[in-house]
Amino acid sequence: MALNLTRRKFLQTASLAAASAAMSGCFAKKADASAPFVRKPFTAPGSFAGTTTAVGGVCEMCFWRCQLVGKVRDGQLVKLEGNPKSIDNGQSICARGNAGVKLLYDPDRLKFPMKNVGKRGAPEWKRISWEEALDECASKLKAVVDKYGPQGIAIFPHGSSAKYPMTFFEHVVGTPNNSEASFFQCRGIRDTAYVATLDVAPGENVDMPNAKAIFLVGCHFGENVHVSHLKRYLKGLENGAKLIVVDPRFSASAAKADIWVKIKPGTDTAFLLAIMNYLVKEGKYDKKYVEEHGQGFDQFTKAIAHATPEWAAKICDIPAKQIKEVADMLAANAPSVSIHPGRHVSWHGNDFQRERSLACLTGLLGAIGVKGGFVAGKGPKSGKAGWPKPMAEHAEKYALHKLAKVHPYSPPGTPTDLIRNAAVTGKPYPIKGFVAWGQNPIQTIPDQALTIKMLQQMDFVLVCDVMPTDITMYADILLPESSYLERYDHIQKGTQWNFADPHQQFITARMPLVSPTAADHERKDSVWIVNELAKRMGYGEHIKVQSGEDMTDKILAGAEPPLSIEQLRKEDGIHVQPGVDPYGKALDVYFFSEDIAAAGFPGAPTYIPVPEPPKGFARLVYGRAPVHTFNRTMNNAWLHNEMPTNPVWLNDESAKKMGLKDGDSVMLVNQDGVKSRTSTVVKVTPGIRKDTVYMAHGYGTMNPLMTVGAGAGVDDQSLISKSAVDPETGAHGMRNNFVKFIKDGKELSIPA
Amino acid sequence: MIIDLDKCVGCHACAIACRAEWEVPVGKDSADRERKRNFVKRLGPSNTPHGLSSTYYPALCNHCDKPACVDVCPADKVEVTFKDAKTGATKTMAVAATWKDPFNGTVQIDKERCLGCGACADACPYDARYVNEDGDEPKADKCTFCVERVAEGLEPACVQTCLARARIFGDLSDPNSEVAKYVKKGAARLESAKVKIGPNVRYYGNKKDMHLLTSTCTPQAMPQANLRRTIMARMMKPAMEQVKGLGLLGLAGAVVVKGLSEDEKE
Repeated sequence: MALNLTRRKFLQTASLAAASAAMSGCFAKKADASAPFVRKPFTAPGSFAGTTTAVGGVCEMCFWRCQLVGKVRDGQLVKLEGNPKSIDNGQSICARGNAGVKLLYDPDRLKFPMKNVGKRGAPEWKRISWEEALDECASKLKAVVDKYGPQGIAIFPHGSSAKYPMTFFEHVVGTPNNSEASFFQCRGIRDTAYVATLDVAPGENVDMPNAKAIFLVGCHFGENVHVSHLKRYLKGLENGAKLIVVDPRFSASAAKADIWVKIKPGTDTAFLLAIMNYLVKEGKYDKKYVEEHGQGFDQFTKAIAHATPEWAAKICDIPAKQIKEVADMLAANAPSVSIHPGRHVSWHGNDFQRERSLACLTGLLGAIGVKGGFVAGKGPKSGKAGWPKPMAEHAEKYALHKLAKVHPYSPPGTPTDLIRNAAVTGKPYPIKGFVAWGQNPIQTIPDQALTIKMLQQMDFVLVCDVMPTDITMYADILLPESSYLERYDHIQKGTQWNFADPHQQFITARMPLVSPTAADHERKDSVWIVNELAKRMGYGEHIKVQSGEDMTDKILAGAEPPLSIEQLRKEDGIHVQPGVDPYGKALDVYFFSEDIAAAGFPGAPTYIPVPEPPKGFARLVYGRAPVHTFNRTMNNAWLHNEMPTNPVWLNDESAKKMGLKDGDSVMLVNQDGVKSRTSTVVKVTPGIRKDTVYMAHGYGTMNPLMTVGAGAGVDDQSLISKSAVDPETGAHGMRNNFVKFIKDGKELSIPA
Repeated sequence: MIIDLDKCVGCHACAIACRAEWEVPVGKDSADRERKRNFVKRLGPSNTPHGLSSTYYPALCNHCDKPACVDVCPADKVEVTFKDAKTGATKTMAVAATWKDPFNGTVQIDKERCLGCGACADACPYDARYVNEDGDEPKADKCTFCVERVAEGLEPACVQTCLARARIFGDLSDPNSEVAKYVKKGAARLESAKVKIGPNVRYYGNKKDMHLLTSTCTPQAMPQANLRRTIMARMMKPAMEQVKGLGLLGLAGAVVVKGLSEDEKE
């Protein structure tokens, strides 16, 4: 088979040579003869040859925001690399970062403002001018505000460029109905749980390079890739840190672990309580730290006294011995232990309690402000620029969770489910204007049918994005945005990645690496778009920045020492200055929180059981593919090529009983009868529990305009039709859905 | 080059950096061969005698001691003088369109003289070559160990971007180099009884990962020589010779002959 194509090409070449010989002298190819013949070189010159280096790039293939340089030849970006001056990612960037070039030149990118002259969900696109697009967006959104009040608009933002529109709609227009995916479907629970426990949002601030033990609950580093974060993790392992990984699946991290805890999904809090109870009972905790900084410790120990290793062992389906082994390993290495707070934590609807447990465990081990523990680096100061807040109070007054007196630990914005329910029911007030900016709520939020119902009842739907996605199919007006390689819009700050190195801090601003303008498109950046909308909606007086560049310069001017874009360029894109020692800061630990108890929730961390899989079904767990950032990168030709589908992991013994082989094609159906739109292949492995199946998130987009990614793999979110809502935070839990397989039209039960 | 599987996290950055650096197209050059210079295969989780393992096979041209791809090249041989970058010593050899450098040990391709027949790609037991048909003529392509970047004082693209520093590039002949130290520690070649051609990318890792890697990714047989392809390559030659002999040429002919005349200069 290998022969055929090559042979065809071969004969072509051979016959061409022969034909040329035969035709020589008569110049049969007139058309070619008139144009100068430029031969495409056989060998690519390499990114270093004949290129200039553009500085000031800040990646946004994901949201870790590595610092970049661009190699540019004849105005074309040929390659992205880590900025050699970076003290964060250095010259390294991940697969996605490297593939940014393919996003920039993706022929499927949105190019012009478009009007949907078909239906939402089944669009027919008509190209319109910016003038017409902006006039229509402004008048339709203004009409919603006039009829229903500012709260009648919902905004679903994601990414750097969405911050300016988000704050415009929240603070200037005055709607509280802002649903950030990064909070309500990702890390918001973690942030508010840590604030409630340690009075600080944790980020991923554990000092892994200098840890003696690293403890990961669900984090699957390697499949989840953030460059400097992984550098920290790997440095820790290189320095001999013990690694404990808690995961129902043998993840990339479990593969490097000293202890893999093959836990039953949903039961992590029981596991953590048992560890803490064991440490307390055995006296293996940091008594001094707890005495000095612990709040409500006695109530806490009483509340978790029932949580013996034997109790948890049954719930978590792991040996009691292993729970003790983990606890002993943590105690033996305390306080230099990195209890990782996690990142995507909206799993089961009982997640606030798990995150509280992680924060309490950190405190119990005294692993705060010390080498290897929970330590936040100190970045430099910078200024502020953007929208004033004339309507912030109005927004606050109409916040749905406040009106209903629910979810007091909600992250900023309004819990997604409340927005969607209000829109669908019209109660307590109608929501009739919808703005998605860089977010694809179809693949972000559980229950796609309900999300679509919400969209269908809107008076107006505006979507702005770089690429077509599922949500763009529901837009009335679709606006094309400049990519992160063509715009100013983000200030990135931080420290050197390893605190064992001399303390430094850096500040950089995203600057375009290539010109945003070209003959074949009319893309604009969000500052320009929103300012134009604001003027047309009657909010022009509040505009404080005239462009992305202006905003960036104003924020930089507030840095210490004051900086500018010009100065950053002179400094090769990144300003680096001496930093400060991050160690030594202790934090109070609210083991038992009176505030949480007063709000009607358990004051001490508590295990709340989650629904069990019905007979014949397995729990659907999802996670990251190293080459993708959710749905955002699915159309990238290079990334797609690395992992063109998302195989569904199935336990090998179960597969045998089901008669399935590795590589078999299957579809999935969930407990509500929702079937996957597409199929994927089975990955048969001993590395997963029998009650769990797993797939990478973000595949299976339904937008045919994504010519590379459409229909590739299965959309896990389509199978997550049952929402769980975390009661404290209002954030979603997305791992309480259960699936069977369909092979050759036949439903296959998954044996327990 | 050494690939340290204890460090590798399977992020695939190496494969993409290579694609960007050398404009390697995606897709296949034939029914069963991906177009790539550098790739990562994900292995496991699978049981091994040493426990459950999940690891990666980051692969590229092995620049073998006895490369299977070199002798099968049907292009006419020309005399080429090689120079040792370290000592300045020179050596003149007759080589076809692909050869092994007598000094730095890398296996390289002269794209100008390559016939694009793919015989070399078929001959490689490691599937490290492909035929790039995106240019004006099909040409064999593969990892060069980024000798072009190295000459500029840069690291190979895959090494530079590796966040794990899992790829260690250096001079095996220098006993003090990091790569030589890894060899002493037991970094292994992916070789079998029937495939013993001295690959120079070596893998290092714990027992279970090395077991999974070597048991699933070591080639067990040399590919069968593709006679048809070699015959076709030979068939093409008379046509080109004919072109070469004519004074006036068509455009396509000019391209072929330009390549040939450059060879003669060498």
